[in-house]
Amino acid sequence: MPVPKDVPAAVRTMLEAAGLSVSEEEFKAFVEMYPMLREATDTLYVEEVRYEEPALVFTPVAPMKGA
Amino acid sequence: MTLPITIQEAAAALRAGEISSAELTSAALERIAALNGTVGAFIAVTDDIAMAGAKQADADFAAGVDRGPLQGIPFAIKDLLATKDAPTTANSLILDPAWGAGYDAVAVERIRATGASLLGKLVLSEFAIGAPDATKPFPVPKNPWGLDRTPGGSSSGTGIAVATGMALGGLGTDTGGSVRFPAAYCGHTGLKVTYGRVPKWGCAPLGYTLDSIGPMARSSWDAAAILNAMAGYDPRDPTSSKAPAEDYLAGIEGGVKGLKIGVPVGYFFDHPMLDPEAKSTTLAVIEVLKGLGAEVVEVDLPYSAQAKEANTMTMLTEAFSYHRMDMASRWTDYGSGTRQIIARGAFTSAADYVQAQRFRSYYAKEAAKVMAKVDVLITPTIFEPAQVAANMDLNKRMLSPSYTGPFNLLGYPALAIPSGFSKDGLPLSAQIVGAPFAEALVLRAGHAYQQVTDFHLQVPEIAKQGVVA
Repeated sequence: MPVPKDVPAAVRTMLEAAGLSVSEEEFKAFVEMYPMLREATDTLYVEEVRYEEPALVFTPVAPMKGA
Repeated sequence: MTLPITIQEAAAALRAGEISSAELTSAALERIAALNGTVGAFIAVTDDIAMAGAKQADADFAAGVDRGPLQGIPFAIKDLLATKDAPTTANSLILDPAWGAGYDAVAVERIRATGASLLGKLVLSEFAIGAPDATKPFPVPKNPWGLDRTPGGSSSGTGIAVATGMALGGLGTDTGGSVRFPAAYCGHTGLKVTYGRVPKWGCAPLGYTLDSIGPMARSSWDAAAILNAMAGYDPRDPTSSKAPAEDYLAGIEGGVKGLKIGVPVGYFFDHPMLDPEAKSTTLAVIEVLKGLGAEVVEVDLPYSAQAKEANTMTMLTEAFSYHRMDMASRWTDYGSGTRQIIARGAFTSAADYVQAQRFRSYYAKEAAKVMAKVDVLITPTIFEPAQVAANMDLNKRMLSPSYTGPFNLLGYPALAIPSGFSKDGLPLSAQIVGAPFAEALVLRAGHAYQQVTDFHLQVPEIAKQGVVA
């Protein structure tokens, strides 16, 4: 996923969606940080991983009588 | 009085009647009183509990009761773990005091059962992440080797307390390096255990699928003694492993003859940001072990740069899940660094998180192929010595390598051992990594190295009074 063209707008939207109210100084730091984070995250989408199952495990819970 | 600085020495002295636990514990408390205001290691000091424990230990010794090497040893707990007789804060205004009140975390319960003297609760990076914030009512931890330097986090207080002799051992937690960083920056030993080796119940979470609780102490022998007390399944933590715990001291004198050491050159030794002294001292550790009979081969652990990113992203996403509601309503109650780092978890998608777990599966298979060829890997623990704390930049840190995070992603055990000092007199560290549940092996290798070197016994000037190395 490419870094959005309007990084400040994208950052503001994601902060609002998460319910976070930050200072203007913090907002600027997030705007500076976000392209690095996006690029780092995108390095995980490599061809070798294409058919891997995620390392997630869920164990169904049996009925709990008397709970 | 000459005080022992290792658990091994102290345990021997206690059994020989050369010192009492009351004397050891009093000395530790005196040192805390003298130094804590300067280096900021303890949030809470439990003098009465420590002295009561010491007197009980001495009475037990007199009665012939011996619970093992931690009996009567001054010991301290990272304030992320619940303790029944002291508040638990996670170094934060956020944590509900009721969460950790009136009970012990499993690891604390097990340490308490050894008869150790519990000195109190140790400073950490807030919720095991972030950076100290002087505007909050918690001590700012400082590196005893240079007060302007970071002591490393997140188990900062444990690192400082062991380095200065305030405690002979302590507990840390490690999600991306939080046992190994402070052990490395403060100049002693720290073990990140296999994921699931030590039950986490009663420990506030950071990254659920990565968190571990590990021993911090001067030596590998001491770390093994602490792990002996903590390892093993507990049903209260469903992620704890049913794999049998070992006696980690039983084979520790076995040496390294024939041990096959893998040196992962790519990323771990050729990164442009790797400090030359951090590299050369690690290579020197490998040479020492080679001289003791180990075999050394170069190996390739591909995609380790991405493994750092996957570990960080997993940690922050899981942490943000835990913190989102509090962050939305109490943003400024968090420390400045803490809130800015954890909030990064708001910037990745659910698909990104699942992709990180798919990458994790792939990387685990690649690492398993490497570990089929060698017994341990050795890397630097840190890419540079402790930075000046005031100069640390949260965003710039994103671009630096991490030699610890990939092994949290893999869940492997990893031992940080002192490897020397920088030209500025700051500790450096090497990391010995094993396959899952190979703690005994990495501790044996660390112990072999520490039998012929003394970097782990060096004491910072600020703490030298009354200590003989």
